[in-house]
Parts: sequence; structure tokens; C-alpha cells
Amino acid sequence: MTITMIVVGLMALSLVTYVVSKMSKGLGSVLTILGPLVALLFFLLEGSGIASGSSIGILQFGATKLGWFFSVTMLIVYGCVAFFNPYWMKKLVHPSAYNMLYILSLAGTIGMFFAVDFIVLFIFLEIAVFASMFIIPFGKSRNAAVVYFAMSTFGSFAFLYAIFMMYGKFGSFDISFVLGQLATEPTTAIWVIILMGIAAFVKLGIFPFHIWLPMAHGNAPDTFSPILSGGLVKIGAFIAIMVVAIAPTYEVLKNSYEVMGLPILIYIVLIIAAISMVVGTLMAIKQDDAKKLIAYSSVANAGYIIVGIALNDQLSLSGAMMHIFAHAIASAAAFLSIGAVSYRTGTTKISELGGMIQKMPITYTVYLISIISMAGIPPMAGFISKWLLFQSLASHGLMFIGAAAFFGSVGSFLYVFRPLSGLFLGQLKPQHNHVKEAPIFMVVPMVILSGISLFFGVLPNGLLNFIGKIQVELGVEGITTVDTAIMGNNGLLDPTLVFINFGLGFVKAFIIFMSLSKSRKVGLMDTYTAAEFVYDPNVYHYAKSYYAPIERLYEKHPDIVALYKGLVQRVVDLGRLLQFIFFKTKPGTTALFIVLTIILVLWGEKIW
Amino acid sequence: MVALSIINVLIAMGVALFGFTLQTSVAGVNRKIIGRMQKRYGPKWYQEFRDIFKALSKRGITHGWVFDFGVMMALGGILATAMFMPVANIIAFEGYDNFFIFVYLFAVGMLGMAMSASGSGNPLASIGVMRALSQMVGYEVPFMVVILALVSAYNTSSISGLVAIQQDLGWNIIRLPIGALVAFICLQGMLGKKPFDTFIAPAEIASGPMVEYGGKQLGMLFIMHEVSVFVEVSLFVNIFLGGGNNVIEFIAKYFVVYTLANLIANTLGRFKIDQVITFYYKVPIMLALLQAGLIIFLGWGVN
Repeated sequence: MTITMIVVGLMALSLVTYVVSKMSKGLGSVLTILGPLVALLFFLLEGSGIASGSSIGILQFGATKLGWFFSVTMLIVYGCVAFFNPYWMKKLVHPSAYNMLYILSLAGTIGMFFAVDFIVLFIFLEIAVFASMFIIPFGKSRNAAVVYFAMSTFGSFAFLYAIFMMYGKFGSFDISFVLGQLATEPTTAIWVIILMGIAAFVKLGIFPFHIWLPMAHGNAPDTFSPILSGGLVKIGAFIAIMVVAIAPTYEVLKNSYEVMGLPILIYIVLIIAAISMVVGTLMAIKQDDAKKLIAYSSVANAGYIIVGIALNDQLSLSGAMMHIFAHAIASAAAFLSIGAVSYRTGTTKISELGGMIQKMPITYTVYLISIISMAGIPPMAGFISKWLLFQSLASHGLMFIGAAAFFGSVGSFLYVFRPLSGLFLGQLKPQHNHVKEAPIFMVVPMVILSGISLFFGVLPNGLLNFIGKIQVELGVEGITTVDTAIMGNNGLLDPTLVFINFGLGFVKAFIIFMSLSKSRKVGLMDTYTAAEFVYDPNVYHYAKSYYAPIERLYEKHPDIVALYKGLVQRVVDLGRLLQFIFFKTKPGTTALFIVLTIILVLWGEKIW
Repeated sequence: MVALSIINVLIAMGVALFGFTLQTSVAGVNRKIIGRMQKRYGPKWYQEFRDIFKALSKRGITHGWVFDFGVMMALGGILATAMFMPVANIIAFEGYDNFFIFVYLFAVGMLGMAMSASGSGNPLASIGVMRALSQMVGYEVPFMVVILALVSAYNTSSISGLVAIQQDLGWNIIRLPIGALVAFICLQGMLGKKPFDTFIAPAEIASGPMVEYGGKQLGMLFIMHEVSVFVEVSLFVNIFLGGGNNVIEFIAKYFVVYTLANLIANTLGRFKIDQVITFYYKVPIMLALLQAGLIIFLGWGVN
């Protein structure tokens, strides 16, 4: 199997899925499971040396280790999430369209990761964006899709403009050729880097473009939020790696003013990433909707990814790639567990739920493992990536960025605990007494994702060695590992040792626990109430405005949404003005306006 | 698994046991000291051991599996953290005692306890956990900024490496007094001593996270608490007071730091939780950034 065959096959499959879904919704949704899993199987069987395949017209793909890494991450997420699709067939408005777009967005991302020229890359990027854009309004809000589209278009246009600028200078769309030539044209190069950087920021949801994430993730169908957070936003990380590691950015910027030994542009990027971490964390802390909370946490985590990519050294880049993988898996699992709760109860609001652990213990465990990974706590994969990033930050002596990263890291303990405590623990609401554990085919993919988080947290070196090879491919020194230990700039980490120690500690605690007399089991309402009589579980559960004391400290924060609303208003006003002047009652004025516009466009074409 | 042999693991377990014994004794002695300060006789120095064994021997209640599992996870995580801690010249896993392990492996234990407490179903416990996490945002950031500067300057993030450097250059507390001050203020927050005992706040939220515990669960959380205090104070002793050439020296420094923290705690009132956070984001963070700047940009005190 070659990459071309897989991509074309997936695109064909999306059409087949549509037709099949029209006949049988269930069968169509099964195809959405099989598609990614079969593609994943091919990728794993062929390994990173997978053949690229002959070109079809301009459709040409080149196998890279980087593309393979991103594709496999994406396919794991798509494959696991797809198990939820059959259960949502009844809830969605257009199930057959959903199935088709699901596969189409996958085909778009895979095609993008292996594209060898910019036009193909851009087309596949837009396929992925459009497919996902049409899925989002299947959920709760149409407005979310509009915001997503507006933001995404902004990024895409910036990207397209950069492509055309490079084409204008070098007369080619070939990615490696054009990016290799950039160093010869520093002025163009800087503009290209900035424009492509904006595109990466928009896709990743970096501040100030982050507002689409909570809207889109929070309102998309529950089966698609994990794809957005675990899969599609990572497109931005791919573009960012392309800008910093494949394009000779450091060489272009070597003569620029330096801050802390880094070019000023890189340092500005780091500051923006730091702001993302802080803003994402603070906003996540105050969310009552679990899906929005995880969406904001994706903003914060995107900050870590950008910091790692922007520093572009041995530890930071491997940390960033590990984080892309770890966060994709963990956030997909977290979204899925919330989705499972939503499937059974119909809500994702933390304050409307409580005590779900009693009814859905496996879902709870999955959520627990995924948040341990998201918060960067051992023994999960998220710890490895955070450790690598902190090593890099420390050896660069970046104290302000470091402070923001630490804030984001400790802050993540807060926001991940809010759903854990409010939604899963505490008192069970009486109206949820009939709720059952999620169906078996929803549990299986969640458990698989948790297993991946745990496995790569204990034995990450297989993956890290592969990441090291990607780094060599990108011209950066690869990460080094010795047996189970990871070599940092200023210390060693042995995740296996950490896990064994934790295991030993837990076994000791278990032995102590078991050797002592057995406790008497009592109900959750049988607690200390300071001699009050409380019989209603609804009033005896602490979930509403969980972090009120902290939230109060920044409740009057400036809101970036107001700025965007202002911009929208200006555009609307301009439109009204034009309408008033040119499109009133006289057709002559309208015709004149149209002709003038055409002349203006053609004239612009001529000078350019 | 370069460092892992049975001997290392046994030493590490010994360190954890030593830490528990040391802290429980020191805490007992401190109860005596505070008693004398308040013109009381005070309990025997081994009173803390008595309390723990009494709790362990009682038959308690449980609120479900997560209530028990969280307690085991808490104790397991904290014991694992203590196993990495270098004590004077006894270092179980040399080179692997990374600072970030202490921060994040510690968090496993804390998460376990928080989970267990919230799992009890008592809102007071949830409020306590909420306060503990909020306080964590306060003290962790300044502390980690100071450590980041140290790691950056000395090019090692291993605690035993930082101790070795201090044996050549002298104690960090003398060369970097601002950083040590910040770390001590943060230590006070970590220990949950007044004025930062907001999350326990006995008379206010019925001891917060601990409200539902009794019997063996309470006993195990006592053990966990003592070991976690050992980890926190030892971090300060190792990073700022140069560890110790032998165990006696280490114990002496340990006793001084813990007693000082305790004495300060017994002369102050309690902050409200928002005051705790605003305090940490006013004074300690500024001092921490100042100290980090002095180290990173000017190289003061580190060469």
C-alpha cells in the first residue's frame, strides 16, 4: 500500500460511506470505524519507510518520518473516536453527511501531512477544514461554525498569501525546494515566516485566535469534539514545525536583534505562547461546561507545543512532538469520557451532574488517566513531554516563559480536577439513578487510549527514539536515550524507575490497607453535616462555581471576544454603508459600482 | 533501568522509612516545644506515633472504592517521591533524583488524596480540596521559578547534584538569600502551616479534606502527611542548606527548618484563600523573578 493509494482510497471511501449510510446508517458508521483502522494498519505494517506511490496529476506525495508520525497519531485518534459514531446516528440531523465528512476530514489531514508541494498541501488542508466546518453545526450551535470558518479562513488566507509570495520569488510550489531557498531572500523569508506562523497559530488556537476552540469544541457533536482537539488542531503544530524546523528560520533570523540568545521574533512567539498558556489556564478554571473546559485546556497545551517547536533544539522539539502525541491521546480520551457521560445523561454541564463514578466507574477511570496525562503527572505520557520542555526552558534560562509554563502546569491540576470532583465524584443526583455504564463499544476505545497514555508514560523510549530520527530528518540533533532513561541537558529521567517506585509505594500502601481491619461501608449521604439534617443530594454537592475564590480575582478581565465583536460590527457597518450608497434604488449606480470594482481588480492584476 | 538494583530499591525504602520516623519524631518534639511556648506541659515526643497507630487499629468507615483507592494512591505516590530523596550521603538513585520528579510525582499523591476526599461525598471536603489546589497555584510558581534559575545556572536539575555544588561553593541560603526567603515562604504554604493553613482550617470547614476520615484511612493519611512533610522540608534543606555531610548534620538542619516554620505558624493568624493567592502573586513571585534575574543575567551568587 502506498500513501497515494491510502489517501485516494480514503477519499473514495468517504463517498461510499455516504451512499451506504443513505441505505443503512449503522453500516455507514461501521465504515467510519473500519476506514481509519485499516489505514492505521497499513501505516503500521509498512512502517515509516512507507512507499509514496506514483503521482496522479498534481497529486504527489512524499513519505517523511514527520508525516508518518502525525498520520499515525491522527489515525489512532480517528480510529478510536469512530467507535462512538454508531451510537450518535440517531442523535445527528444528517447522519450520512456526518459519516462522509468524518472520513473526508481524515483524508484531508493525511494528504496534507505527506504533500510535497504547497498547492496540494493547501487543497488538502482546506478539505480537512471544510469537512470539519460542516460537521460542527450538527451540534448545538451554528454560530460556532461561523466563528470557526472566519478564523480558519483568516489563517488559510495568510498561508495562501505566503505560498504565493514564495511562488513569486522562486517560481515553484515544491515545499523542500522553496523553503530551502528562503535563506537567500531574507525580507521575503521574514514575511513568509510571519504569515505561515499566523496560519499555525490559528489552527492550533493560540492567543489571540483561541476563541474558536471553546466555541467549536464545546458545541460540536460529542463524537467530533475529540477529533477537533486531539486531531485537527494538531495541523497547526505541523505547520509550525514546517515553519521553524523545515524552513531555515534560525538562519534567516541570525542577524536580527537577540533577546536571551534567541532572535527577537522567536522570543515574541514564545511570549505569545506563554500568554496562551496563562489565558487558556485561567479560562479553563472558570468553565462550568466540561467540554469547554477541555477546549480551553487545549489552548494552554498548544502554548507548550509552540514553545517546544519555537526553541527548536534537541530537547524542546522532542518535547513538543511528544506533547503533540500525548495531548492528542489524552484530550481525545477526556472528551470521549465526557461524551460517554453526555450519551447517558444528555448534559456536559458540571453543575448538573455529580457522582457519576457510582454508575460509570470505567469512564471515570479513563477520565482520571487522561487528566493525569494532561496535567503532566507521572506515570503518564504527558509527564515525559513536560519534563523535556522544562529541561529545555531551564537550560535556556527563560525565566518569564518558565514562570508561565509552571503556572499553566500547576493551573492544569485545578481545571482537570473540576470535572473530576464535580461531575464524577460527590453526590449522585436522584434523576441519574437509572444511568448505566457506557456501552461496551464505547468503553473499549476509551480503554485503549488510556492504555496508550500509560504505556508511553512508562516506556516512552521506543517513541522517543523514533522522534529522535524525525529530528535528524529535520536537521536537529536527535534526543538520546539509554536503556529506559532519557538524557536531558541537566539531568536524567527514568520513567520506568518512576513507575516501579510508584508501584512499590502503592503495593506497600495496599498491604497496609489490607492487613488492617475491614471498614464498614456507608452511603455518601451518611457524612458529617455539623448536626444538620440533609436528605437531598442535590443540595449536598459542591460543584457550582467550584473555584469561586480564584474566579473572583480575575472576574473583571478584558475579553478578547469584545474586540472581535467590535471588528464584526465595523465590517457590518461598512457593508451597510456600501449598500446605502451603491445598492439603493437606481440600477445605474449598482452597475457603475460593479464595473469600477472589476476595473480595479484587473488593474491590480496588471501592476502585480 | 540503569540504576535499578535490589540494593538501590532497599536503600530507597530505607530512606522513606527514615523520613517517616524522622518527621514523626520531629513533629512530636515540636508539639512539646509549642506546648512549652504556651505554658503547657505538652505531650510526649512520641505522641504522633501513638496517634497514628491508634488510628490504624480502629475500625473505620468507607464511602466507596474511590475513597479507599485514593488513600492508597496518595500514600503510594508520596512514598515513591520520598524514595528518590537524597539524605546526606545516602542517595538511592544518584542522577535520577530530578527536581521535577519531586514536584510531579508528589502531585500523584496529592491527586490521590484529593480524589479520595471528594469521593467521600462531603461538600466540606471538596471545598478543602478546592482551597488546597488554589493555594498550590500560589506557592508552586515562585518556588519553581527560583529552582529554574538554579538549574539554569548550575546546569543540573538533580538534587544530589545541587547538594554537591554547594559543598564546593557554600550554602545557597548565604549566597542567594532572596531565593531562600522565597523558598521558605513557599515551604510554609506547602506545609499548610499558618498563615497558609486555609485548606485545613479546622474550625471553619471541619478540617476540609480530612473531614470524613477515621480508622485506617486516617492513619494512612497521617503517614502520608508525615512523609510528605519530610519530602518538602528535605527539599529545602538539600537545595538551600547544602544537605549534610552525614545524617546527623542533615537531621540537625531538618529540625531547625521545621521548627522555625512551626514557630512562625504558631504566632500568626490565618489568611483567607484569596488573600493567600494575592499574597503569593505580590511578594514572593516578584522576589523570585528578582532572584532569577540576578542569577541568570548577572550571575550573582552562583560562581
